[in-house]
Parts: sequence; C-alpha cells; structure tokens
Amino acid sequence: MNVLIVEDEKSLAIEIDAFLRNQGFLCEMAFTGMEASEKIAVNLYDFVLLDLGLPDYNGLDLLKEARDLESEAAFIIITARGNVEDKVKGLNLGADDYLAKPFALIELQSRINAVARRKFAISAPVVHIGNFTIESSSRRVVCAGTEVELTRKEYDLLQYLILNKNKVLTRQQLYEHIWGNLLDDQYDSNFIDVHIKNVRKKLNLHSPTPWLETVRGIGYRVTIDP
Amino acid sequence: MIKLRTKLTLFNLFSKMVFAAVFIAVMPYIIERINSSQTDKELIRKKEQVISMINEIGIEQFINSESESTFGSYNILKDEFISLERIDLEEDIDSIEVTQRLIEGETISFRVLSYSFDFDGQTYLLEIGKSLESIMHTRKNIFRLTWGLLALIILITLFADLNYVYRVLHPLDLIIKKLKGTSAPDVFDKVPVKTTTFDFNQLDQTLIDLMNRIDDLFRKERDATVNISHDLLTPVSVLRSKLENILLQENLDNDISAKIEESLKTLHRLKTLVNSHLLIARIENRQYLKNESFAVGDLILEIIDELSPIATEAGISLIYNPTADFQMTRANRSLMFSMFYNVVNNAVRNTRSGGKVTVISSFNQNRFSILVADSGIGISEEQLKKLFSRFNSKSNVDEDHVGIGLAITKTIADFHNINITVESKINLGSTFSFLFPGSS
Repeated sequence: MNVLIVEDEKSLAIEIDAFLRNQGFLCEMAFTGMEASEKIAVNLYDFVLLDLGLPDYNGLDLLKEARDLESEAAFIIITARGNVEDKVKGLNLGADDYLAKPFALIELQSRINAVARRKFAISAPVVHIGNFTIESSSRRVVCAGTEVELTRKEYDLLQYLILNKNKVLTRQQLYEHIWGNLLDDQYDSNFIDVHIKNVRKKLNLHSPTPWLETVRGIGYRVTIDP
Repeated sequence: MIKLRTKLTLFNLFSKMVFAAVFIAVMPYIIERINSSQTDKELIRKKEQVISMINEIGIEQFINSESESTFGSYNILKDEFISLERIDLEEDIDSIEVTQRLIEGETISFRVLSYSFDFDGQTYLLEIGKSLESIMHTRKNIFRLTWGLLALIILITLFADLNYVYRVLHPLDLIIKKLKGTSAPDVFDKVPVKTTTFDFNQLDQTLIDLMNRIDDLFRKERDATVNISHDLLTPVSVLRSKLENILLQENLDNDISAKIEESLKTLHRLKTLVNSHLLIARIENRQYLKNESFAVGDLILEIIDELSPIATEAGISLIYNPTADFQMTRANRSLMFSMFYNVVNNAVRNTRSGGKVTVISSFNQNRFSILVADSGIGISEEQLKKLFSRFNSKSNVDEDHVGIGLAITKTIADFHNINITVESKINLGSTFSFLFPGSS
C-alpha cells in the first residue's frame, strides 16, 4: 500500500518511514504543506498520515483539498495538539482516524490496518494459534468447539498481541492501546502482568499456550510460525 | 450580621422616633405659647371693640346711674365674661394674667385682661376673661391631631423607606448573587447589573474588570502550559519512534533491548507528565464537553470490574456497596471514569495484602455521595495538605507513577462541581468522599 507521510519534523517522518517500509508499505514523505498538496494532487495514495501542525499550511485545509480532488486516500491525522475540537473537526472533514503524539509505531500500524479493513471492506480475520481459534468479528476465543470466557480487557490484550504477532510489545504499548491516554498516570506495569496471567490461566484450562511468551525485561510476544 | 437594608430602615425608623419624641416633648410648650398669644390677641381685640363701643355709644349704656358702679356680662357656659367697673386708681392698669373668679358660686380660672381708662373724668376698669378650661380644650384637640398626624407620617414614610431602600439596594443584591455563584473567573456573569446608582455601577464594573483580568492571566498561564506541552510532545514522539524502531531490529542483543525498554519507560513517564499537565490545562480551559448522561453506579461497576483482578492478585478484597444510584446529566463520562479510577486504583495500590477497599454510594441530605475507603497505609497530615497539588505531591511517585493523578482527580471534580474531601489516619487507612451537587 502507498503511504504519504506529511510531517514537518523530519526525524519523526524518517522513523515512521523506516518502520512502515519494514512492514511492507511503500512510503513517500512531505515535510511541508505545499509539498504535500502537490503530491496529493499528482499521485494516488492509499493512506495519508497528516500532521496538523505544519508551519506553512493548516493541516485541515489539506484534508479539504484532498476531498475536493475526490482523492480516495484514507487520512490518519497525527497531532501534538490532541484536543477534542481538532479531533472532531478532523473526523468531520472525513479523516479516518486520529492519533495523538507520541504514539507507538505498532499502534500506528494497527490503526492503518483497521482503517484499511474498514475502507476496503476486508472481513475481520479468523486466526488460528495452537489449538485456539480467535474470531475477531464476534470477539470470541474458541478451543475445540468450546468458548473460552475472557473479560473485555483480556480479549483486547490477546487480540492486540496477535495482531502484532512475532513482535515484542512492551507493557506500556499494551497499556496505552487498551486504556488510552486518559489514565496514563495510573499505569502500573503490574496491570498487564496480572491480565496476561489471567489470560494464560483461562486458556491453559483448555490447551497449553507456549505461543504466548514473556520476554524478560521487555514485555510479551505472540509467536506464530508463518 | 445584619443586612444593609435592615440597618438603613432601622436607622430611619430610629431617627424618626427621636424626631417625634423631641417634637412631642416640646409641643406642649409651643402650643401653650401659641395658644396664650392667640388668646391674648383675642382678648386685646375684644378690649378694643368694647372701648370703641363705649366711645360711640357712651358709657351710660353700661353704667348709667350714680348708684351703679359695675357692669358684668358672661355667656351661659361661663367661659367668657366682660366686666366694667368705676373705680379709683393710683396708677393705670394694663395687664393680662390668670386669676380665679367667682361666678354664681363657682370658682373658675380665667385668663383676664385688665385695662383702666378715663372717661368723662372718671376712671374705669375693664376686665375681659376667657376660661382656662376652654383654652385647655383647644390645646387637647391640637395635641390629639398632632399625635395622629405624626404616627401616620411615620408609618407612611416607613413603608416608603422600606420600599425605596429595597429598590435602591436591589442592584447590590444582584451583584452579591453574581459573586456567590462564581466558582472561577470565567463563569462570572459579565453582563453589568442594571442600576442608576453610580456607586453600584462602579462596584460592578470594577468586579467585571477584575474578573476579566484574572481570567486573562489564568488563560495565559494555561495557554503557556498547552504550548509548552505541544512543543515537548513532538521531540518525545521522535525519540519514541527511534527507540521503537531499534527494538524492532532482529537479532538485537537482549541487554540492549532491556536498556532500550528502560529508556522507553522513562520516555513514557515524560509523556505522562506532559499529558497530565495538558489534561489539567484543557479541563480548566473547559475544552472538554459536558454533554453525557449516565448512571454513576454503572461507571463504578466498570471500574470495580477492571480493578478486581489487580486487587485479587494483591490479596485485597475490593467491595462495592451500592445503597443508592445517581443519574449524572451534563457530564463527561470518560473524565469522570478517570476521576474515580484514579482514587480506587490508588486505594488498591496503597493497601497491603489482606486489607480491603470499599466503595459505598449513598444519599445524604438529598445529596448523592461516593465514598472510597481503604484499610491501607494512610496519608500523613503533612501529605494531606498538598495531596491534590500538581507539583508538591511526592507521595505517589515511583517507577511507574508521576504522582499527578490526584491533581487530575481534583480538576475533574471541580469541573463537575463535585466536592472531594479526604480523611486519613496513618496505618489505619484513608477515605475519599465525593459529594455530588444537589439535585437542583
């Protein structure tokens, strides 16, 4: 998929670019609003990551321009001004999602995937790990025909780990994804550990879970052999 | 404390009473003076009439024979008399005084004018009298009338005063009401109170100016917080992305991974700190909407559900005891969620294994309240004082926490007009009370 990264902070654009390329995206960068405006007018993109705080351009105007050009690109707004008003305005102008700085790169990727699924009507995947089947459309975990009862947070944790399979996720990344920014200060490394412990306990009653690993000193990883 | 209106009216009434008392005390003397001068004038007028009659028709009409030496006449009520007497006198008489007279066996006090004059070589004494009783009678009448009038005037002016004072002071009442309803400078009603009184207008205008200035200062301070926070978040974002990208590299040494994870943790703390200040500034700037309605009980249940696994793991019983529920209107659900979450989570964190945390909802004197009580380590008096402060609370700072949670809680509570109080005893536990605004 083609992604245009519109971000005046060059070093951030470069990091996003490196990460997304690594995940198999085709990326271009624009460091100014003018540059972005030209690129959007000339090229076709599947995704535009748009920083609202551009020095020469109001990011929301760029969004309007793209809509006027009947661009098919999905817009994900990125901003340090994470206020509600901007978010509402952006979404009203047809942005597909919204991320506040500083975000985790894997969070960006999972948002892109979610938007892509929605936009291109790809049905939610059914994942098989070990003896378990995870049906994300119905939020169910099934083992040999029996449903494993997980709480909402437990399911969210498991799903996020599976979505980012074969990557180590830090406790903070997991916490941020599930609890959002409003409870930042209440973050407890213990939280994630307790929830993972409960997920394991519940799953192990049905079948062992060697694929759900604890990576010492870092976090957790779901390993699925390709 | 007495109201200004009451004070003014009381003073008005008092001064009127003093005036009336003085008037009533002096009145008999004045009336006496007026009355006697009036009587005297009348007597003199009558004397002049009699003298001119004598001059016209001669004295014989009254005293004609040698044998008769006196003439007397009085009306049937005996309150007036005239007498004429031929006498010999050493010197002239012309006086007015009070004397007793015997008329038909009755002694009556008269004010008598005595006047001697010569006529046809003879000296005569003319006496004209008016009974004191008749004079007293008029005096009494005047007295009654004055008393009545005075009472009436006092009564009427009292009502007029009350009314006027109320009207004149009404703008002051409005200004006081405005001030009382002002919890922050930006909610002060900037519409001037209608008044024709210069002083009230000045007072109101000064207050509005003052509020505007304070509001402006506060806004500048909050804007500065917001701007600094924005400026900080972009570099944090750059650093974070760089570190995450390194972490994603394959065949990375485990030690290096752990170190990068440590750095990410530090970065997370920085981000939390910046975001928390930003959150507080935004709430204070009223950038959050209050447009949701929900039952507080459901919110608490959600929090209990989320924290139960943590409490169980730590060997703490987390109990919810709902004895009442409250429908919140015009509120922000996610803000209120974090408000309660912060406090319940703190309670769990600060309680040792085997302890308990109880959340109780109840109605007290028409006001809904939530209590979060723990049997934890407690908070010292020193810490209690600055518990909700953004900068001084070191009590909750550790590897994971920046210690700003309770400042956020307080800001959210203020935003929703919820009153928070804390009671705590070292080693016995703490109780946080959330008192909701009255149902009105």
